Amino acid sequence: MQALHRVLHVEDDPSIQEVARIALEVVGGMEVASCDNGQSALDKAAEWQPDLILLDVMMPGIDGPTTLGKLREQAETREIPVIFMTAKVQPSELDHYRAIGALDVVIKPFDPMTLAAQLREIWERSDAG
Amino acid sequence: MQGEEVQRRLAALREQYAERIGNDLQTLMAQARELAARQRAVEPEALESLRHGLHRIAGSAGTFGYPALGQEAREMELWVQTVLETAVAPTSPMLTTLHDRLSGSYRLLENSATASVAEPQADYELVSGERAIRIAIMAEGDTHGLLQSLSGFGYDCRCLTEIEEWRSWRPDVVIIDTAHVEPAVWQASVAEVPSAMRVLLSDDGSFDARLQAVRAGAQGFFTHPLDVPALERRLRHLVSLPQQDPYRVLIVDDDVELAEHFRLTLKVAGIESRVIDQPSDVLRGLREFVPDLVLIDINMPGCSGTELARLIRFDDDWLRIPLIYLSAESDAERQAQALAQAGDDFLVKPISDVALTAAVTARAQRSRQLSQALARDGLTGLIKHPAIKELIEIEQSRTQRSGAEACVVMIDIDRFKSINDTYGHGTGDYVIRLLANLLRQRLRRVDHVGRYGGEEFVAVLPACSLDNACEAIERIRESFAQMECVAGKAVFHATFSAGVASTFDWADAGALLEAADRAMYEAKQSGRNRVCVARDTSV
Repeated sequence: MQALHRVLHVEDDPSIQEVARIALEVVGGMEVASCDNGQSALDKAAEWQPDLILLDVMMPGIDGPTTLGKLREQAETREIPVIFMTAKVQPSELDHYRAIGALDVVIKPFDPMTLAAQLREIWERSDAG
Repeated sequence: MQGEEVQRRLAALREQYAERIGNDLQTLMAQARELAARQRAVEPEALESLRHGLHRIAGSAGTFGYPALGQEAREMELWVQTVLETAVAPTSPMLTTLHDRLSGSYRLLENSATASVAEPQADYELVSGERAIRIAIMAEGDTHGLLQSLSGFGYDCRCLTEIEEWRSWRPDVVIIDTAHVEPAVWQASVAEVPSAMRVLLSDDGSFDARLQAVRAGAQGFFTHPLDVPALERRLRHLVSLPQQDPYRVLIVDDDVELAEHFRLTLKVAGIESRVIDQPSDVLRGLREFVPDLVLIDINMPGCSGTELARLIRFDDDWLRIPLIYLSAESDAERQAQALAQAGDDFLVKPISDVALTAAVTARAQRSRQLSQALARDGLTGLIKHPAIKELIEIEQSRTQRSGAEACVVMIDIDRFKSINDTYGHGTGDYVIRLLANLLRQRLRRVDHVGRYGGEEFVAVLPACSLDNACEAIERIRESFAQMECVAGKAVFHATFSAGVASTFDWADAGALLEAADRAMYEAKQSGRNRVCVARDTSV
C-alpha cells in the first residue's frame, strides 16, 4: 500500500490555504503545494505529480467539478485521485461529487488538527491507498 | 514541541482571519444596507455577491474557531440562496433583517476576539460582552456637556476627528450633529464603521428632514435643544436590539410534512418554530414554547382552526399573540367570517417560502415589540417582575432537562432611601438607570436582567456556575462602587448588595428567588456593598 505523501491543495481563500498547509505539513507530515485557481492546478498537477489533489468546489473562474473534468482529460493527471472540499451540505450534492469521480468529499469547516488523518482514512479506504 | 508550534501558528492565523473576516462582514453589511435603502429592484448579481461572501465565511469560520459565526453565515447564505432561487424581489425589511443579522455576526466575532485577547485563561462565558458601549460624537463647538451626560450613564464616549481613530476604535453608535457637520465629512467617517448605528441631530424637525435622516440610514433623530434623557432612552433601545432572540412560531397543522416544510423555511430565515400536529396539544405548546406568533391550519380533523383560535383566546396570557390562519380558502367573505370569530389574519396556501417568511417576520416583530413594551420597565428598559419569574422557571426546567447550572442574582442598591432623601427622586431614578445600564453592559448577551421593584434588580444567568456568577457580580459590584454619581454640584458614590443562588440547589422558582433574596439580606446585614451566596442548608 502506497502512503499518502504529496498533496496539491486548490483553494482560492488564502486563509484556508494557509491553515490547510499547517494541518497537512506540520500536523500530518505531508508535502503540500497550493494553487488558488483551477487553471494553475491543471499545470501544477501535471508537473508536480501529487499523490492526491484536495480540490475546493466553489472557486471563481473554473470551479472544482470543471477542474476535475479537465484533470481527467489530461494524460498526465488522469490517474491522480481527487478529494473535494466544500461548504455545501446537501446529501444529493455529495453523491453527485462521488458520481463524477471524486474519492470523497471533505466538509468545510474542517478541523486543522484532524484534516490529515481524515485524508489518510479516505486514502486507505480507496483503491489508491 | 510540535503541538505547541501548531497551536501558536494557528493562533496567529486565527488573529489574521478575524481581522479579514471583520472587514468582509463590514463590506457585506454595507452592501445589505445599500440594497435595503434602494428604491428600485435588487438585481440578482448583487444578491449573488452577498451569497458568495457568506459562503466563504460559512466554510471557513469553524476552522478558525468561530463555529457559531460559521453557522450564522450558513443560515444567511441559505436564505439568500432561497431568495435567488424563487426569483422574488427581496423587500427592504427583508434586507434590513439580513443587515441586522450580519451586524449580529460582526458582534459575535468581535466578542470572541476581545474575549481571547483580554483574558485567554478565563472562562470565556464571563468575559464575552463585557465592554462598555462605545459612542462617537461628531459635533462642532461645545460637546463637553453631552459627553459628560452620556459618560455618566456608563457609556464610553469620544469625539473622533481622525479617520484612523474611527477604524481603530470602532464605535457602536455614532451621534452626528447635522446642523454643524458637513454631510460629506460625517459620511466619510461613518463609512469606516458601517456596523455602527447612527443617531442624527438637527435644527430642523420637519417631515423632510426626518425623511432625509431615514434615507441616510439613521436609527434615531433628535432636534435641538437636545433632550438628553430621551436621547439616552433611544441609545438604550438601540444597543439592546442585537441581543434579540430569534422569533418563535408555533405551527399547528395536522399535515406533518407541510408543517415540517414551513418549519425549515422559517429556520432558514432565522426563525425558530415548533410543530404541533394534534390541536389538543396546543396549550402545552404555548406554555412550553412561548411563541411570538401561532400559525393555525384552518381545516383540521376534530377541531377547526377557528375553534382552536377561540379556545386559545380564553386565556388572558395569550391575548397578545397573533393567530394566523393557514388556509386554501381564498373566498374573502368566508375569511372575514373566520376572522370575526377569532384570529388576526389569513395566509392562503400554497404560499411561497419568501411570502411566508416575510409575513411571519413582520407580524412576529410587531408582536415582540408589543410584548416587550408591556413586559419592560419604563425607567430602565429592563424586564419587569412577572416576566423575569417566567425566565427563572424556564432556566429551572432547563437544569432539570439537561443538567446545566444557572444562577439567579438578587441585587439591591444600598441606602437608596437616603439617596432619595438627600438628592431628590430625580437623582434616585438616575442611580437606578446607572446600575441598569451597567448590568446590561457587563452581563453576557444570554443573561437576563429585570427590575424587581423599587431599587431591586434580578439577573438570571443561564449556563453559569455559582463561582462564575459570583465572580461576575463581584466585578460589577466593584465597578459600580467606583462610579461617580452626579447630583447638581454634588458627587457621591452608590453601592449595592447582592445574593446569588443556583438552580442546582433549589428546584422551584419561588424558592430560588427567596434564597437569592435571603443571601442579599445577609449581604446587607454583614455591612452592605458585598455579594453573598445562598447555600442550601437542608442538604
